[in-house]
Amino acid sequence: MVSPKSIAYYVFHPNELRSIIQWKVWHNPVHERDEAKDSENLKRCFHFLNLTSRSFAAVIMELHPELLVPVTLFYLILRGLDTVEDDMTIPLEKKEPILRNFQDILEKDGWTFTENGPNEKDRQLLVEFNVVIEEFKHIKPAYREIIKDITKRMGNGMADYANNAEHNLVGVDTIRDYELYCHYVAGLVGEGLTRLFVEAGLANTALLKKPELMESMGQFLQQVNITRDIKEDLDDKRRFWPKEIWSKHVDTFEDLFKPENKQKALDCSSEMIYTALTRADDCLYYLAGLREQSVFNFCAIPQTMAIATLNACFQNYDIFEKNVKITKGEACQLMVESSQNLQLVCEVFKRYARKIAKKNNPHDPNFLKISITIGRIEQFTESIFPSQKPPVDQKSPASVEEAEKAKKQAYEDRWDLIYMTAAVILTVLIITGCMIFVAYLAGARFDIAYYELKQQVGELLGWIEPKAKAVEAVKVVTEKSEL
Amino acid sequence: MSASKFQTLGTVVVVGGCGFLGNHIVSYIVKRHPQTQIAVLDLRTNSNRHTSSTVSYHDGDITDLAAMQKFFAQIKPDAVIHTASPHFNLPPAIHDKVNVEGTKNLLKASQDAGVKAFVYTSSASVIFGGAAELVNADEKWPLVTGDAQPEYYTTTKAYAETYVLEANRKPEGFLTCAIRPAGIFGEGDVQLLPKMVTAYKDGKTKYQVGDNDNLFDFTYVENVAHGHVLAVLALLSTHKFLPTVPIDTERVDGEAFFITNGEPVYFWDFARAVWHEAGDRLPLKSVWHLDTGFASMVGFFSEWAMWLVGKTPNLTRAQVRYSTLKKYHSIAKARNRLGYQPIVSLDEGVRRGVRYIIEQDEKAGQKKGQ
Repeated sequence: MVSPKSIAYYVFHPNELRSIIQWKVWHNPVHERDEAKDSENLKRCFHFLNLTSRSFAAVIMELHPELLVPVTLFYLILRGLDTVEDDMTIPLEKKEPILRNFQDILEKDGWTFTENGPNEKDRQLLVEFNVVIEEFKHIKPAYREIIKDITKRMGNGMADYANNAEHNLVGVDTIRDYELYCHYVAGLVGEGLTRLFVEAGLANTALLKKPELMESMGQFLQQVNITRDIKEDLDDKRRFWPKEIWSKHVDTFEDLFKPENKQKALDCSSEMIYTALTRADDCLYYLAGLREQSVFNFCAIPQTMAIATLNACFQNYDIFEKNVKITKGEACQLMVESSQNLQLVCEVFKRYARKIAKKNNPHDPNFLKISITIGRIEQFTESIFPSQKPPVDQKSPASVEEAEKAKKQAYEDRWDLIYMTAAVILTVLIITGCMIFVAYLAGARFDIAYYELKQQVGELLGWIEPKAKAVEAVKVVTEKSEL
Repeated sequence: MSASKFQTLGTVVVVGGCGFLGNHIVSYIVKRHPQTQIAVLDLRTNSNRHTSSTVSYHDGDITDLAAMQKFFAQIKPDAVIHTASPHFNLPPAIHDKVNVEGTKNLLKASQDAGVKAFVYTSSASVIFGGAAELVNADEKWPLVTGDAQPEYYTTTKAYAETYVLEANRKPEGFLTCAIRPAGIFGEGDVQLLPKMVTAYKDGKTKYQVGDNDNLFDFTYVENVAHGHVLAVLALLSTHKFLPTVPIDTERVDGEAFFITNGEPVYFWDFARAVWHEAGDRLPLKSVWHLDTGFASMVGFFSEWAMWLVGKTPNLTRAQVRYSTLKKYHSIAKARNRLGYQPIVSLDEGVRRGVRYIIEQDEKAGQKKGQ
């Protein structure tokens, strides 16, 4: 329910409240779904989906009908695998064959698993796993093959880790190990989903030819989670931050949490964040390959949440003390912005990247590297949505000769203008002259014209008395002329 | 188009090989292509000398055509890398003489001597008029010269580039291209890093102008050297297939290429990284952020005030403009056609460059102390 604290928060952050309301009121799923037509089995599957992950369930439920069920089952199957792997109460000799053969279990009618410890939060999913297996039979064989292949590889990867005593003792050693771990738990998911999208004709097949992109999609999400969950994982006695990184800053993993090592811990977290951030531009590149709106939303929303989470964790010592989260208002705003188009998602990435840049500490060992990574996000965005076009060519001279030619041209142009003006004036003068001469020959009285003109101008300006005098004057002149 | 490590470039003349960039190009070739014979041509060759037996030094003036023709006839080089350029603050007549006439002389002498590949060091600023920002600019951007170009130096660099590119395939076996580096720094640079380090020593790191959201290209000198050598290799390999002309999208001869670190960063981030390396430990929150408009106004008044008393101002409008402007380039063309990929990262470059300055200062200090 709404707590007084959150009411106070939203009073001072009306923009976030606005985002929440906007999302709730205006957001319509791309594909409407009629739940009444679902079978009992399927309803149960959706029930588990909602139980296991609220955040993922929301985006999965809005997927294109073609992929809704396959992706739901894919998710539940991997969650089942994860629940076996995670459970420290199951002995290794029991765990390993299940992990390694999970792809075959998917075809065993009625298979269930009841040996999870009572505290395992998704144990019920495995208790009723027969419903998943039943539904799995009904999806297209092509999707089934993809899901089985990924399940097999992930299960074996997990079994390898479970077998690795050193890993259990000290956690993850090198950055390579760290990335390999993230590959098994997330990179493979990226691959599986991409293959499903392409198979359904909802994504560009070129995505399969650039496997580093789908790998980065998974790596980015997983690395952000690992970075954020440092405290939670410590409490659960798990370590995913690689030794290769933390050992540069402190001597033992526990030292990270000592108050006197605050600055070192922050520097170390920066390096974790930097490592994740190097994947960001690949993620944008990947999103450019998606063709269908619901698939785009499905992929983009977790990514923008991830970069916002990175921003929330960056230079924030709280991550060593509690679970840092983005606010609900921020999350709703991100969902609104991530369910439109790639350009807007690029803007979101750029916005958070700049927020990170503003907090970047020049005395952090990874200061310039972080800055460069942020620059790369911005440059990548510019390369797909350029804000500047090549400017109009002002025809600057390209060589001395061209410059001289241009100068000469300008000089000539000026003289041309002078000549032209002179010619016009001369022509007018000659014609005027000719006309006056002809008029003179024909007996025109210029003296009268001149006198009249003088008179009228004089009248106009008030120098001379009008009328009578003037008439008199004309007479005088006329008489004179007759002489 | 990846070049094997010990591929020889034949005999190469490096014009300006005792200068900042030229010297790094010589070092790079000695290290990466040791079988290459290098003839360094410079106005004075008493500094930055390599001891390697493959490098010979020759005093010469590129504005003297007869001397150049004689020199080239004697060396008979396969390739020429022309990096010579006067300091940009010198009077226009010198730029005309060295950049324009000198380059023409070198082209003529190279054509006469049967040179196969001619690579010219241009500048990224040939498309930059000072006012308009450059956002991910590429080679499609037009040259900005003459009245539109505030720096006469840059105008002459652009002219020289045009002569070099126009001379391509005249005669058929003479191939040329131009490299446009942006913001070169590194060991021995006299403009970029020393000025920034001096700013730190003068206590100027407390301020910064603008929002610091302007990406800027800085390029470590060894990457620029790498770009030049890749260009020579590409031209030499095109030469082997004469008279076949490569398709337009793969062509190197007759083309210009931006070369940068491919790592544009916010302007002040670069400065702060340099200052940190030089010893600055000022916390980020102690930095004063000046609004761009306000700083321009201060710059305007300080320019006039200092003009009245005849001193150089601390802050000028040009500096404000330069530090708040987006100026970065796309190097996609160099990546695709030259196979260029920066070999030294920006942070490693900063480290090397600043340490070099500190070492030099220490040496100078010891000399004084003696």
